[in-house]
Amino acid sequence: MPFIKKNLFLSLAVTFVVNVVSYHHIILYLYMALSITNLSKQYNAEKTAVSNFSLTINKGVLGLLGPNGAGKSTLMKIIATISKPSGGSLLLDDIDIVQNPNSIRKVLGYLPQDFGVYPNLNAYEFLEYIAAMKGVGGKGLRQRIDLLLEGVNLTADAKRPIGSYSGGMKQRIGIAQALLNDPKVLIFDEPTVGLDPEERMRFRQLIADLAQDSIIILSSHIVSDIETIADEVAIMQSGKLITHAPQHEIIKQAEGRIFEVLLNNSELNAFKHQHKVIDTARQADQIKVRYISTSGSAAPSSIPVTATLEDAYLFLTQNNS
Amino acid sequence: MQYIYPIIKADYLQRTRSYSFLITLAITIFMAYSFIPAQDASYTTLSANGYKGAYNSAWVGYVSGIMTTIMLSYFGFLLINSGIKKDIDTEVGLIIATTPISNFKYLLSKQLSNYLVLLTIAGITFCVSIGVFLIRGTGYPFILSNFILPYMFFAVPALFVVAALAVVGEVFLGKRNILQYIVYFMLCGICMGFINSKSEASASGLFDPFGLSLITKSVTNHINTHYAENIKGVSFGFIFNGQKVYKPFVWEGLNWSALFIGSRLVWMAMGFALVYISSLFFHRFDFKQALSAKKSEKEAASISLAQPMTKPIGMNKAALPSLTFNYGIYPLVKTEFLLLIRQGNKWLWLLNSGLWIAMCFVPLNIAHAYLLPILLFLQVTRWSELATKEKTNRVHYFAYASYKPLQRMLPAQILAGIVLAVSLCLPVIIRCALAAGIYAIVDVINGAIFLVLLAVTLGILTGGKKLFEVFFFLLTYSVLNKLPVTDYLGSLPHQNMNLGLLLVLALNLVLLLISFVARRYQTRHL
Repeated sequence: MPFIKKNLFLSLAVTFVVNVVSYHHIILYLYMALSITNLSKQYNAEKTAVSNFSLTINKGVLGLLGPNGAGKSTLMKIIATISKPSGGSLLLDDIDIVQNPNSIRKVLGYLPQDFGVYPNLNAYEFLEYIAAMKGVGGKGLRQRIDLLLEGVNLTADAKRPIGSYSGGMKQRIGIAQALLNDPKVLIFDEPTVGLDPEERMRFRQLIADLAQDSIIILSSHIVSDIETIADEVAIMQSGKLITHAPQHEIIKQAEGRIFEVLLNNSELNAFKHQHKVIDTARQADQIKVRYISTSGSAAPSSIPVTATLEDAYLFLTQNNS
Repeated sequence: MQYIYPIIKADYLQRTRSYSFLITLAITIFMAYSFIPAQDASYTTLSANGYKGAYNSAWVGYVSGIMTTIMLSYFGFLLINSGIKKDIDTEVGLIIATTPISNFKYLLSKQLSNYLVLLTIAGITFCVSIGVFLIRGTGYPFILSNFILPYMFFAVPALFVVAALAVVGEVFLGKRNILQYIVYFMLCGICMGFINSKSEASASGLFDPFGLSLITKSVTNHINTHYAENIKGVSFGFIFNGQKVYKPFVWEGLNWSALFIGSRLVWMAMGFALVYISSLFFHRFDFKQALSAKKSEKEAASISLAQPMTKPIGMNKAALPSLTFNYGIYPLVKTEFLLLIRQGNKWLWLLNSGLWIAMCFVPLNIAHAYLLPILLFLQVTRWSELATKEKTNRVHYFAYASYKPLQRMLPAQILAGIVLAVSLCLPVIIRCALAAGIYAIVDVINGAIFLVLLAVTLGILTGGKKLFEVFFFLLTYSVLNKLPVTDYLGSLPHQNMNLGLLLVLALNLVLLLISFVARRYQTRHL
């Protein structure tokens, strides 16, 4: 009996350890979080790209907004491990990815803003090459590449040198390469550049699918892309985080500040000096002006309108500057 | 002219504001210093059948001017022949194509910026030549005109023609760099043939863009008259004869004839004319024009296939096969090798094959000392792209963000390069093996590895291809001229073969270390 007891105990212990080890990945993917704490990147005494940036990113889509030079791309490069921060920490769960960049690289998909391709390779060969870099291989690779190419609608052109591709086709190759290793952290820097409206729509759906079990960080100048994709939005300006919240909370910050008014042509210039004009649209012989009232008081004859993410973004960045 | 000045200025600044240009200038200073060898040096740069000039102002100034003209005419071409290519790569060309600037003005601005780059280098060798004269001072007076005039009448016009030929090469041969080099060096070889020609026309410099036939005639006349000799010509370039004792003679320089100066102007006008003719054929960044009708149809068909978006982005993630990870470097080596093979014009492989086969049949010493360095040099654009292509093609974002780029990517590039280099050396290796020349086999393999590591290291350090290309040209030139210290393939007899072998091996280790340290930094500092 003691022998059976001992064996049973041993077997239970082994089972427990095996389960803990094998579920570690699942646990890791279930509760995966990227914690950025006091991150900064300083190129020289005068140029600071990212300053004291703190944020925790969970599964889902984080939309990153900010004017040009806000530090979005630098932040993404740091997360993608191709740029070293000057200070602060970056943890994927409890692993310091500044010190151990290879730990995130295994589960990373990165689409840079201004990437290139090898023009002499065809799409299939290029993806095979990137797969080799990512350490993805085996018998399923060919089928995986076929399906990815089919997914981005490049099957018909897979045997043509990429050098002859249009901008949109290259962008689609970029998207395919990012998905090669079934990434758990996806970084898309201006992913919809060069895509036509239909492609953009499908891309949004793809992101929504991927967001089920990945952390997705996406920057775009097209606020409507962020608006339809992102669960949470972070707005950056001059290297700093202005705000980070779910979309509706960010929009709430601009509620009661957005108005529309009908003006004559001659009044428009003077109006622009007093208010931050977001949009203008011609209506018969007048102009419908959508604007932000920073003080909260509207111009005469104005009608308050529901704020959008774009309104909130413009309101917050203007306020901050 | 006022409109093209800003273009020339921008182009010149763009080329000269780089680390590789700084390194080029450092090499220039070293080269300029070596143009005037010390009295006990084992080489000379201008010799006339055992005679060598005393180091007065005329000799130092003229030799420096001549060597600058020759060396810059050769390797300067490699340095400047990518002005238009840069505009294609950066797509600035597309913007230029939409501006009102005429083809001629655009090409002229390229030629003039080429020219300014070469003149900058020539200016440095000029200053160094004066410094060397003062350092090596043998008591002769310093006469400034003896330094200025050879530069003004040899280097200045010749470099103008080189700058024009670089433009012509880019217009007519486009991205076929190797073909440009072959044609250009053949042209230079023909022109060099005129230097020792005895005809009146060549003596006046009419058929000699370098203008060096004048100095050849003057030196031979001087020696034949004063020393009762009957020498036929002089030799230029780095000539290694061990510590041969030369008979000194005092030479006071040239009397410049109006005909000669006129001939320089004719050559410069020819440069202008060549640029003008090229402008009539310039693609103006519209490459479809250059396609053959058949190719155009094929291209159009493939584009029309690509246009319709029948099924936009979207995929069933669940249908993707499960991932298998393989962190070995074999697939990377395979693709790197494929990229190496596909680089450049495929017709060049015909020439490569010809040389490769020739190495199987010509005497082994000729295959080893001449054909092999030439064959390896013909692959110069492949080597120079080995570790720079990810940056020039902007694929480095993917490469550096991939798993262990330093431990996998860089070794894969180096291994692919070595596989190709050793394959090219195979006829010599096998023949050495048959001749039981174990040292020679190790030497060749060691040299092939050195070449790859040199390309990788210079590529990583400078981020560009030019420095390696120029350096490799100089190396090949020196090897073909039997300069012992540059014998990286071990084709020359040495007093101590082990030492040479160990030296290359040590260099390989240093290069390997530098390339890894530099790439390690780059992968985290984009």
